[in-house]
Amino acid sequence: MLWPGYSYSESITPYSGTTGNAAQGGLNWSMGDILPTPPGLDINGVIYNYTIRKNTDDQVDVYVQNENADGTGYIFREHDQWRPGSLDGTEINKVVPVVPQNRLNWGDGSIQVEGEGRVEDPTVLYNYTVDPCYDPQFDPNCPGYKRPEPPETPEVDYSYATDLTFVRTEDDEVDIDDVYEEEQDSEDAEQEESDEKEEMRLEAALAAADNSALFANALAQSQILAAMNMAVGMNSYYAADLPGGTYNDSVVLVDKQLPENKRGLRNGLAQQLLHEEMVQSQYNLK
Amino acid sequence: MFNKTIKSMAILGVVAIGSGNTFALNAAEVPITGTVESKCIIQTSTAGTYGNPNAYTLSTQQADGGDQAVVRFDVTLADAYYAEITPPTSFSSSPSLPDQVTWTGTVEVQAVSDATGMGTYEADKLEIGNTDRYTLTATGSTWFAIHSTATMGGNKAFPGGTYTAVAEAVCVAK
Repeated sequence: MLWPGYSYSESITPYSGTTGNAAQGGLNWSMGDILPTPPGLDINGVIYNYTIRKNTDDQVDVYVQNENADGTGYIFREHDQWRPGSLDGTEINKVVPVVPQNRLNWGDGSIQVEGEGRVEDPTVLYNYTVDPCYDPQFDPNCPGYKRPEPPETPEVDYSYATDLTFVRTEDDEVDIDDVYEEEQDSEDAEQEESDEKEEMRLEAALAAADNSALFANALAQSQILAAMNMAVGMNSYYAADLPGGTYNDSVVLVDKQLPENKRGLRNGLAQQLLHEEMVQSQYNLK
Repeated sequence: MFNKTIKSMAILGVVAIGSGNTFALNAAEVPITGTVESKCIIQTSTAGTYGNPNAYTLSTQQADGGDQAVVRFDVTLADAYYAEITPPTSFSSSPSLPDQVTWTGTVEVQAVSDATGMGTYEADKLEIGNTDRYTLTATGSTWFAIHSTATMGGNKAFPGGTYTAVAEAVCVAK
C-alpha cells in the first residue's frame, strides 16, 4: 500500500494532503510533529489500519483518538470493539471523515487498548486541506489583503535648537575684548593646522612625481627591448607570399537593437562625480 | 412528476373526445426505465501468484514463494448479502499436464472496516463444499484472502510454462 506524504503549494488555491504515519514511533504522538507548517490547515479525515492480537475468546476495545487541544476531552475518538469470536491477526482498515477543524483544535493523538490484547503495525494518517489565504497577508491576491502601511517617519526633536540656554540674548552681558580674543585664538589655530596640511600634501605630490618618472623610464626601456627582440629574424617573413584570391569577410554583424549599457552609464556618472569632487577640492586649498 | 404527467394526459383525452363527432382511438406505450446500482461490489484487491516450492507443487503461500489473492466486498446494505468464495479447482490455462492435479484452498477474512460489526465474520462462516459463505451483516468493506495449492499426481513435475487458475467470488442476495 502506498501512503502519500506531505504536499505543499505556493499558490493561493486551497489544496489537500495526507500526513505521514503518525503512529510510526509508537502509540502516542504529538500533532505538531505530524502536520505540516501552514496555519490555515483543517483536518477533515482520519485513516487508520492495524492488526489485532488477541485470544479468540477475549474482548478487546481499541480507541484511536485525539484529545482536544485545550485538554477538555476528545476531538476525535473511534472505538473498535473486538468481540469474543473475532480472530487473532485480523486487520482493520478504516476511513473516518470528520467535520473539518483547524489544526489548533487538535491535541495529542494515541491508540488506547483495553482488554487482553494489543495492536500491531498501526498506521494513522490525517487528511487535511490548507487554505493559504487563512492569513490574508500571505499573498496580495488573497481576499482581505491590506497593503502594509509605510513605516512612520521618526519624529526628531528640534527643540534643542531654540533652547534658550544656548541662545545669547540682548540682556546677556558681553565683554567685547573677550570675544575678540576668542576669535583671534581660533583663527590662529586654524592657520597652523592649514599650514601643516599643505606641507604634507606637497611632500606626497613630490614623492608621487618621483615614482612616476622612475616607472616611465622602466617602461620605456622594456619597450625598446621588446622592439629589438621582434626585429630578430624578420627577413624570413619578407620572402613569404600571400596566396592570391579573394578574402571574404568571415564575420557578419547582423543589425540588432543594442541595449543601453547601464554599467557604462553608471561608470560615467561615477566619473562625473569624481570630476566634480576634484573641482570642488581645489577650493579647499588655501 | 409522474402524477403530473398522468393528469395532463387525462385532460388531453377529454378534450379530444369532446372536440368532434368522429372518434380517433390512439394508443401509446410509455416506457419507464430505472437503474438499480448494486449494493454489493466486488473488487480484486491483489491478484495472487503461485510459487513453486518443489517440482510437483504450486502454492500461493508466502513461505512457498507465492502471494495470496485478496478480494474486497463493499456492502452498502446491511444483512442483505452473502459473500461466497470458492478457491480454484482447475487451471484455466496451463501447459499439457502429465497427470491429475489435486487442489486445496482456503479462504479467510483478512481485514475489515468495522471491528464491531464484522469481527466475527470468520468465526461465523459456513463451508459448503469448496465454497465458503460469509453473511455480510454490516455495511462496509471486507477483505478476503484466498490461498490455493495445486499438487501434481504421482509426484510428477509440473511442465514448464505459465499456469493460471481462477478463484470465484460471488455476492448473493439473501
